[in-house]
Amino acid sequence: MIIALIIIGLVLIFGITFYNGLIRKKNQVTNAFSAIDVMLKKRFDLIPNLVEVVKQYTNYEQSTLTKIVELRAKATSGNVSDAEKASLDAQLSTSVKGLMVNVENYPDLKANTNFLNLQSTWTDSEEQIAAARRTYNASITDYNNAIMMFPGSLFAGMLNYYPMSVLETAEAERKNVSAKDLFNN
Amino acid sequence: MPTDFLGDATIQAVLAKLEIDRKKIAKRQTTGYILVGVGIVIGCIFSFIFGIPVFGVIAGIISASVGGYFLYNTGSDLSAYRNSFKIDVIGHCLKSLDQSLCITPDKGIYENEFTESQLFTTSPDRYSTEDLVIGKVDKTAFYFAEIHAEYKTETSTKNGTKTEWHDIFKGIIFTADFNKNFKSFTVVRPRDFGNAFGAWFSKNLFSITSKDIINLENVDFEKAFVTYGMDQVEARYILTPAMMERILTLNKQSKLNISLSFINSKLYIAFPLDRNCFEAPIFSTLLNPNLINEDINTIKFMFDVIKELDLNTRIWGRN
Repeated sequence: MIIALIIIGLVLIFGITFYNGLIRKKNQVTNAFSAIDVMLKKRFDLIPNLVEVVKQYTNYEQSTLTKIVELRAKATSGNVSDAEKASLDAQLSTSVKGLMVNVENYPDLKANTNFLNLQSTWTDSEEQIAAARRTYNASITDYNNAIMMFPGSLFAGMLNYYPMSVLETAEAERKNVSAKDLFNN
Repeated sequence: MPTDFLGDATIQAVLAKLEIDRKKIAKRQTTGYILVGVGIVIGCIFSFIFGIPVFGVIAGIISASVGGYFLYNTGSDLSAYRNSFKIDVIGHCLKSLDQSLCITPDKGIYENEFTESQLFTTSPDRYSTEDLVIGKVDKTAFYFAEIHAEYKTETSTKNGTKTEWHDIFKGIIFTADFNKNFKSFTVVRPRDFGNAFGAWFSKNLFSITSKDIINLENVDFEKAFVTYGMDQVEARYILTPAMMERILTLNKQSKLNISLSFINSKLYIAFPLDRNCFEAPIFSTLLNPNLINEDINTIKFMFDVIKELDLNTRIWGRN
């Protein structure tokens, strides 16, 4: 009788620990995703100032600036899905990087303190977004391991917990110049 | 960066002068030790062999006291000799490596800074530090010092309480201004059995601290270290893939495994060492060509940490 009670107790403790562990891991995924969202918002907020400063010094980048403003407007409109937002951010990132590479053609802009500050803040935001993405992927891996490995694989389906996909780096981003290169113009 | 200090005329002149002091100190110390030894031997012989303990004790005390006087008298000269070696020889080598480098033998890293660095989990019961070296490479200011931190354990025996001292850390702590801003802290410790078990326990069962285990993508890094942090994103912001590779390279260059912490926008690295750096010998010659090589290599290694970890790249809004 006592042995049976001990076994039931152990199974109960295991069940509670496992269930709580799964909830914690799923919450970590949500939390990690919201961290990316916060970082993206911070980056989107840099755009108006960046555009304003660049506009004063350049005559030939109007189409790029217009594109950047449009992309930002779309990304912050609130009617876009997470996947669309990620795609818009990738396009935005590529456009801004292209713009910064072209700064070499505008010595006055290159020497502007406001622009230099914005440039380093932008680079910093790239690094922060990369860190947030890596955190998200680590959370996903942790969660997937928990539900795909034994004994999690036995119960995950019953609890409606299914594997999630990690964020993949876009091909365009893989080919992008490094942040450091932007400053070596 | 000049490295041939053996051919340096200034160093040779200083070493030649210090060698004379060293010989005097060594002679006096040898005499002192011999007299103390002779005193003990005389005391024993007369007490136990000839059975005249009173004479033995008196003769022994006289001889040992004269020996003790010799040793005591060498104290201030010895201290001046050691100080002169550190300032005139090591200091000169430092200036030759880089003008910004400077050594202060009697200063170090304060105990509260050592504790706040969170490099080690145990608070020291006994702490000593010396040989503070400060410098700057381009935009990055840094300093390092020798530290010996210990904790004690007390056990009750039938003869009373027995106190034993154990090392928390013995070696060099290196501190540099980090090139990114951050608010929380991240600690990277070698993956020994204790840290690996603690990490597994915190991750799979429950954590008793507010620190999270940070699982990073670099397999070699994960094999070598356990990473703890208050903020998962910030830890990865600091430990970028490139930074992890650089830390691994630095760890390979160090004889013993290093620990790192990132706190208050500063980087701390603990390099354990099995020897005392920058110390002048007493019973061996100062004119040995290999004498300062090891110390110089240590200094160059510390100086190169900035380059190795790429701390002078200041593109993330921290200048």
